[in-house]
Amino acid sequence: MARHDEGVVTVGRSRTGTFFANTTGIVFGLVMLFPVYWVLNTAFKPDSEVRSFTPTFLPANPTLDNFKSALGEELFIPAMINGLIITAMAVAAALVVGFLAALAIARFQFYGRKAIILVVLAVQLVPFLALLIPLFLMMQRAQLTNSLVGVALVYLVLLLPYTVWTLRGFISGIPRELDEAAMIDGCSRPQVFWRIILPLTGPGLVATSVYGFIQAWNEFIIINTLNSPEKQNLMAWLLYNQTERGTAWGPLMAGAIITSIPVVVFFLLIQRNIATGLTAGAVKG
Amino acid sequence: MYAVDSPPETQPAPPKPQPTHRARRRNRSETRVPWLLSLPTLLILAALLAYPLYRMIVLSFQNMRLRELITGLTPPWVGFEQYTKALGDGVFWGVVARTAAFTVVSVTVSVLLGLSIALLMRRVHAKVRIFMMIAMMFVWALPQLVAAQAFRWLTDSDFGVLNYLIDKIPGVDFANHSWFVNPWEGWAVITALVVWAGIPFLAISLSAGLTQVPKELLEAATVDGASSWQSLRNITLPILKPLLTIVTTLSVIWNFGLFTQNWALRDGHPEPVYQTLSTFSYTQAFGQSRYSYGSAIAVITVVLMFGVMVFYIRQMFKIGEVD
Repeated sequence: MARHDEGVVTVGRSRTGTFFANTTGIVFGLVMLFPVYWVLNTAFKPDSEVRSFTPTFLPANPTLDNFKSALGEELFIPAMINGLIITAMAVAAALVVGFLAALAIARFQFYGRKAIILVVLAVQLVPFLALLIPLFLMMQRAQLTNSLVGVALVYLVLLLPYTVWTLRGFISGIPRELDEAAMIDGCSRPQVFWRIILPLTGPGLVATSVYGFIQAWNEFIIINTLNSPEKQNLMAWLLYNQTERGTAWGPLMAGAIITSIPVVVFFLLIQRNIATGLTAGAVKG
Repeated sequence: MYAVDSPPETQPAPPKPQPTHRARRRNRSETRVPWLLSLPTLLILAALLAYPLYRMIVLSFQNMRLRELITGLTPPWVGFEQYTKALGDGVFWGVVARTAAFTVVSVTVSVLLGLSIALLMRRVHAKVRIFMMIAMMFVWALPQLVAAQAFRWLTDSDFGVLNYLIDKIPGVDFANHSWFVNPWEGWAVITALVVWAGIPFLAISLSAGLTQVPKELLEAATVDGASSWQSLRNITLPILKPLLTIVTTLSVIWNFGLFTQNWALRDGHPEPVYQTLSTFSYTQAFGQSRYSYGSAIAVITVVLMFGVMVFYIRQMFKIGEVD
């Protein structure tokens, strides 16, 4: 990781200072990880050990019962499937629709371009929770409450601004000379799109869809408001399960782990993009 | 690959021949095509964002209750009644003050801690830095609701490990201590959760920003006898300022809209002292079936938030113009 040390100041640094810094860094890392560790630790403990007034820092009798019990919950598997369906619909729609708008912003100079950019950025900041009341009324009138499509539609809007903004970045990263060369070679605009821009945006599409997946997978207030218990996703299941029957901590923590696995894995795959997407160019700005 | 790296658009000015019929026609399609491409996005945003926003405002001037919801009748118009009711209510102002105070405290703590961690990451050994990064990545990746459940479990009055550890301190009795009876303690837990979950984004973005600060400048300053504080104030912070503005604004927007954390920690029924604007609007609308009152509160929330958004939009718009 020598690359990381580039740009690190070396003048005027004392040894004790470095030792102190290293120690602080390690303690900080451990403190950050502790709650995560505690969830894992609990998930593998049998109920008797979870309900012990003297917590054990490593499960004395590790067991998978909590995972079995969570998976065996009546609504767990349906919630997982619902979540996957809703997420897939929302992400797919956001990619198709968002890509077109991103293409327009990145590749065309036209009257109204700035207005579109402004709209896309501004709507990103409308607190969705505030719109929940009218959305609920609209969905009810359209008979889309208690349906997966209704929730997917709302999620689509949730994902769309970020999708447009990020894909725009990826498309502008493709040199225009490629487009022009292809056009000189006789390609039409649609051909340039299919043969050059779309393939080269592949990684961007993957990154964006993973981000969309995380967003949609993590949401629970909208779905909890629009749908009945049978039509929830896993996040809403986590919340519902806690209130309905007191808290069975072991299965809840196991459920929390199962729920987070796809998010954690995907997140770690695209973590560089998330930070860049949110603050793109801010340093230069 | 990213927006930052994309080359500036230096299009050579095309030679301008006499505007022929054909050229004019192509010009017109140059405007039509991008609008057609943007149309689906704009339509969806209009239908599912602009229209609800409009409906929310209309609703806040009506009195929509359960009866109107079921019968589908147009709710009676009440003018500014919902607003005067909210603005004349001590409970509402309590919620506003609490939300604002929480935002100020949590954002200040998270940004200061995030900046300190970012600076610390520039000072530690490469291996320690990787460890810090990995720890933060896991915290960042954890869904908010799962993080909230984790904190609920840590602070559980009977089996929570936090009580157990504090109880170990000689002379302190924390067995079966309930963290949410005293609102100061309860809010300390909520703030700790929000700060803990927010630090990774702040520290990692800011440490990425710190790599833009020229090493030579800092070294020269050190050689010239500047203290680390002086270097920080006069070199690092000015360079970091645009990024700091963005991450701070984002934190304000996120923390002002606090919902998940206190919702989960209070089992979906936050007591009055744990209500923020978001949960208050939600419980009024969906808990009490006062849809119009909830809408009025949501409108006030959006207006309050808009003041903050302006900074963010300005900064982002500048970036959008660059490429």
